[in-house]
Amino acid sequence: MRTPRSLILEITARCNLRCRYCYFFNNPAVEYRDLPANEWLAFFDELGTLGVMRVTLAGGEPFIREDLSLLIESIVKNRMRFSFLSNGTLIGDEIAAFLAGTGRCEYVQVSVDGSCAEVHDSCRGQGSFDGAIRGLRTLQRHGISVAVRVTVHRNNVHDLENIAHFLLDELGLPDFGINAAGYMGTCCVNANDLLLNLEERKEAMATLLRLAAKYPQRISSQAGPLTDAHMWRRMEEARAQNAPAFDNGGRLTACGCPSNKITVRSDGTIVPCNMLAHVELGRINRDSLAEIWQNSPALNQLRNRHSIPLTGFKFCAGCSYIPYCTGNCPGLAYTLTGEVDHPSPDACLRRFIEEGGTIT
Amino acid sequence: MNQTDKPIANPIVVLREEFDDWAILFNPDTADAVGTNPVGVAAWKLMDGNRSIEDIVSEIKNNFEDAPAGVLNEIVAFVNKLDENGFVGLELERKAKNA
Repeated sequence: MRTPRSLILEITARCNLRCRYCYFFNNPAVEYRDLPANEWLAFFDELGTLGVMRVTLAGGEPFIREDLSLLIESIVKNRMRFSFLSNGTLIGDEIAAFLAGTGRCEYVQVSVDGSCAEVHDSCRGQGSFDGAIRGLRTLQRHGISVAVRVTVHRNNVHDLENIAHFLLDELGLPDFGINAAGYMGTCCVNANDLLLNLEERKEAMATLLRLAAKYPQRISSQAGPLTDAHMWRRMEEARAQNAPAFDNGGRLTACGCPSNKITVRSDGTIVPCNMLAHVELGRINRDSLAEIWQNSPALNQLRNRHSIPLTGFKFCAGCSYIPYCTGNCPGLAYTLTGEVDHPSPDACLRRFIEEGGTIT
Repeated sequence: MNQTDKPIANPIVVLREEFDDWAILFNPDTADAVGTNPVGVAAWKLMDGNRSIEDIVSEIKNNFEDAPAGVLNEIVAFVNKLDENGFVGLELERKAKNA
């Protein structure tokens, strides 16, 4: 690709909530400030020239920007489609009608972490559940596609059955996505209270496998307990049968993000991914995005991560799962080990089993 | 459609030329995308409403030494595909002729 097809744009560092596991806040590498609209507008013109197809607006909470409609108009003018990552609580009829009217809004992802206020609000703050559901229903009323994301943590791991029932049966959503709180940002401060312990992780995996069977094709995940359950089952079967290595196994092949998209922080700093916010590649309206995309040494190093064999890591020494392992998220590898070019301990199947985990 | 039709590219459509000799035409209003090769890209850039398909084929034959013998059919099929997806305008041209 000459230029990225899509970007994640953290258009604000402000948020009306302070979720206890938020990956965004409490990152010492990040300068938490907002750019004025004219900086974003100039950048959108550059994206239009480069043929970028899609942008995802994130934050912070993107709907907190008072000039959001101005930004959207510029995105539309520059022939792009857009989506949002949101907590849902600030979405009212006026902005929903505006988004629907553009015809370019692909979806709004709203975070819902519980089947009721008690569970959801335990990490997100009082009133946030009612606000999220109100926002979600407002979007539905205006015909905007809603993508719900559930983040699993200690406070909602026992509520997963109810959450699935609430989202799929009561709200009638076609599907929802699931991941887990990870050791990043604010979550690092609250890790002991929120991250799943071994028993909770086993419970989450078993429950989500059962729910995925009950609701076929309606629960998706790219990380977290459901992904681990599927991936680790494949890995265990392959190891037991002494199967050939997976095509993407044995090296740091996860993930492909740096080859597909790029992220801009709220202060205008270009970074490879919002999970790698400390890897600064340049700045919007000062550096050429095309130049960074094609020639940034740091970005190309990340893209070449797939050539690093797991056999070279002391962490992986003697592991029989190596031919089937991808090393998983570089962002979590960095926060847990201090190194980007390292397998993520969080996704280590051998460690999970050594600690008493089982594959069902 | 016939060879005298003069297709005009929908200005909302984005042309993304990639490194490996292929390109994407993307309609942000519908999210439809069409992949194409260098001949298709050249044809796209000539769809200005002033050139007929015959004219476009003729220019491409002049500009591509290795243009295949079936380039006319290839381009007609390409324009038809773009027409079906709203990537080019032809209807006004037809209506004008039929009026």
